[in-house]
Amino acid sequence: MTTPMVSLRDLRMEFRAGPDQVTALDGVTVDLPAGTFTAVMGPSGSGKSTLLHCAAGLERPTGGEVVLDGVTLGDLDETGLTVLRRERVGFVFQAFNLISSLTAAQNVALPARLAGRRVDEAELAAALARVGLTDRARHRPVELSGGQQQRVAIARALLTRPAVLFADEPTGALDAHTSRQVLGLLRDLVDERGQTVVMVTHDPVAAAVADQVLLLADGQLIDRLAAASAESIATRMAAVEATC
Amino acid sequence: MLTRDRLGAFVAVLFGTAIVTLTLALLASAKPQVPDRFAAVAVAVRSPGVSTPADPFPESRPWSSAEATALAARLAAVPGVAVAVPDRRFYAQPVLGGKPVTTVQEAHGWASSALASDSLVAGRPAQSAREIVVPRSLGLPVGSAVTILTAPGPAQWTVAGLVDADRLYVSDGTATAFAPGVRMIGLTGHPDPEQVRQAAPGATILHGAALGDLESRSDARTRWIGMQVLTGMTALAVFACAFVIASTFALTVHQRRRELGLLRAVGATPGQVRRMIMRDAAVVGAIAGVAGTLLGTLAAPVIGRVLVDAGFEPESFSVGVHLWPLLAGLSAGPVIAVSGSVLAARRASAIGPLEALRQAAVDDRPMTRPRWIAGLLFAALGVAAGAATLVTDDLSDLATFALLGVMALVMAATVLAPAAVPPIVWVVLRPVRGPIGTVMRESALTGARRTASTAAPVLLTVAFAVFIAGNVQASTAAYASRRADAAGTGTVLIPDGTPGLTDTAAGAAPLPTELYLNGTVAPAIGLDPASPAAGDRGPALAAPDTVVIIGWRAAQLQLRLGDAIEVSFADGVRRPLRIVGVAADGTIPADFLVSRQTVREHDPSALATALPLPTGASQAAAVGARAVDVATYSRQADADEDRLVWIFTLLLIGVSVGYGALAVANTLFMATARRAPDYRLLRLAGATPRQVLLAVAGESTLVVTIGAGLGGGAAIIALWGATVGLRSQTGSTLPLTVPWPTAAAAVAVCLLLALAGSVLPARAGLRHIGPPRETS
Repeated sequence: MTTPMVSLRDLRMEFRAGPDQVTALDGVTVDLPAGTFTAVMGPSGSGKSTLLHCAAGLERPTGGEVVLDGVTLGDLDETGLTVLRRERVGFVFQAFNLISSLTAAQNVALPARLAGRRVDEAELAAALARVGLTDRARHRPVELSGGQQQRVAIARALLTRPAVLFADEPTGALDAHTSRQVLGLLRDLVDERGQTVVMVTHDPVAAAVADQVLLLADGQLIDRLAAASAESIATRMAAVEATC
Repeated sequence: MLTRDRLGAFVAVLFGTAIVTLTLALLASAKPQVPDRFAAVAVAVRSPGVSTPADPFPESRPWSSAEATALAARLAAVPGVAVAVPDRRFYAQPVLGGKPVTTVQEAHGWASSALASDSLVAGRPAQSAREIVVPRSLGLPVGSAVTILTAPGPAQWTVAGLVDADRLYVSDGTATAFAPGVRMIGLTGHPDPEQVRQAAPGATILHGAALGDLESRSDARTRWIGMQVLTGMTALAVFACAFVIASTFALTVHQRRRELGLLRAVGATPGQVRRMIMRDAAVVGAIAGVAGTLLGTLAAPVIGRVLVDAGFEPESFSVGVHLWPLLAGLSAGPVIAVSGSVLAARRASAIGPLEALRQAAVDDRPMTRPRWIAGLLFAALGVAAGAATLVTDDLSDLATFALLGVMALVMAATVLAPAAVPPIVWVVLRPVRGPIGTVMRESALTGARRTASTAAPVLLTVAFAVFIAGNVQASTAAYASRRADAAGTGTVLIPDGTPGLTDTAAGAAPLPTELYLNGTVAPAIGLDPASPAAGDRGPALAAPDTVVIIGWRAAQLQLRLGDAIEVSFADGVRRPLRIVGVAADGTIPADFLVSRQTVREHDPSALATALPLPTGASQAAAVGARAVDVATYSRQADADEDRLVWIFTLLLIGVSVGYGALAVANTLFMATARRAPDYRLLRLAGATPRQVLLAVAGESTLVVTIGAGLGGGAAIIALWGATVGLRSQTGSTLPLTVPWPTAAAAVAVCLLLALAGSVLPARAGLRHIGPPRETS
């Protein structure tokens, strides 16, 4: 293993929800090596999404630090953070991924254009071909299926050649068949291009595709499973949920 | 691409720039024109000006006949002067077939024809008394007799010659007798204005474009009123336009939160988001600005005609195309649009990338600290403007402060609205039961900020309609109560086709004139000492060179009974008058009373305005006069003024309400379109289409209620301030009048538009969906 691509040090996140103080992350420390596929799992409210948001620089933690590709995120202001996100980080969300008024190709080109960079046709075509959507470039999101939309989102996330690709429940809104396609695509990226991928999921089948699984409960890292099968992950999850 | 969101801003800017271009084009064209009868004048020498708070355009203090003749002789010697003519004009009107000709109402000495370059087309100049040169258009042959009305009354004159222009000329001797005072000496040729100035110390020298100042005082006054109307319209239009754009963009940003969040998540910096919104506004503003400028330029001549017909501009007014109103209109578009979008853009840039991940957009904090501060600042500004109306003693300042006040209060009400929404919703929807009522209430409460921005246009519309109508009612009432005091009963002799009554028609009628005191001028009335109007002051006024002075004037000049006061009359003659009476304020209709004889002597062209006739007396109908009852008289006196006020009101209400109504329909349309998923969910939850439409209609009604409540409140506070201001200015006990019919009409229009803007698209949407189905 080389130096970690994402390094979380004593990460804490607290916020107010009405009169209550909620602790979403309670001192998480973990290193994610470059070129690996990590799944983050846990029961609802375990803090897995917050972990992803903090690691990706979408949210600022209330304590601890995040180092992404050698950059300490806490040192950056909002604009600096945004620039880092669009140059080093890719995102895929569960839904609301695409701007509805733009075509698939325009959506893919958007982050690069926001960075003030021209995107040539060949580069765009290659990005869409990689996710198998060459013939859908001119379609708008409403004309695409859920799986196709998610693949457009992945193509967009990859165009800037990010250091890390973050995915938040990327298969959450998809059926089993389409899920397998999307997960296969992510796996190939790790194996063939050495892409670092961090994915939040609640689906043991999805998590089984990853190199390692981080298990969160009550904002704390309670387990790390390496190259586990879907069955063993499901068993472990059931045990965790039973104690909650 | 003109999306639905941009359409509202587009239309707002379109009309905003159209009105700005229109009013600027009118203002640019509203430069005073040199009257035709001074067409040949190169330099005009005008007698020293005076000023008075009662009238922005008083006539200057005349030179006496001797002074004018001497000055004209000096001026004629200035190098380059062809002729120097003292302009003597007086009342004269030909009578044809027993009717006074209304197109010609003044005559001049023949020497003045040089100032207009008029030349005879037949006959010879008038040379002796009772000889006159008339317009050819009258159809009278040279040598025929014609009845001419002058201040003493009708008389037979002989036509000596004819001219093309609509002007009357008499011999210079006759003109001197009728018009001894001279206010202007016209110079033709090519004199150097500086040398003219040296030859006529103390006089006003006009040349070049400034010759427009020679227009008649009544034209200048009309032009000034028109300026006020146009300025008011422009201010309202710019405010309403920026307001509508601001609320449209605020709503757009609110509705595009998720999309903007997604943009932030995929790498847009806050600055990029802010610039994106503002660039959007600039593009919409620029395109709408071009269209609006075109519209305004095309509409300007039409509106110009309307203003002339309404009496806001003199007959000589015509609209031309000028460059700078076009440039101003073109640049106003993007400027108004961008400044209206600044706040929305700031708010958009504060949206975090995580907004894209949230499922529902719930207003987390309806009122932020800056919002409270801004709202309270606007409220304070409104109160300050209200206080300013109390201390100002200028009527046009009063109107300006009152308008500023209502604008500030409208802003305050809009900014503070999210705080007011929950209590209003609570009160209004408390008695509502059932699931639909609950949905309406909760949706309005959780989206307090959205509800408030949807209600903003209603607020603007109702506030302005109520304020303007109420204010006009209040000021009209204030002045009407003054006039009512002056009216009596019986019959009154009034002018008929003439500017006033001659001595033949009304030899005993009070004769108005003006007295010049140093730098100012004051109205005076000449009373026949034997007439009932003079009352017990008659004997005192019968003595020569006596005057009755009104109390406040006496106090101002520090004069008492028995003191002498030096005045100049309309003929330029200075004379000391002995004060034989000090009248209490409000008991006499002018600042000074003198004998009618004195007025006639010094102002040979003065005409009476009206003569009350003793009951039962049957006056033989004189030329240019007719008898009417008092009610008709006062109605007629008011009719013109009321019509002006009414048109002014309609223009202002039209501009602001038109804007508001536009925005009401637009925002409701936008809001409803964005809520389609909610309505679909309601259908899925088992609501019938009828129930959904009921909920939509209910929400729109709620929004209108909130806007009407807040707008009405702001307007009534502003009205109260304006009423108190008027009260202190007119000294009347004016009650606060709320124009309920106008308020009801404004609310009804808003409600109608709101329902049309929400229920119709919702109905179309529901029909489109068909049976409920799961949507991905």
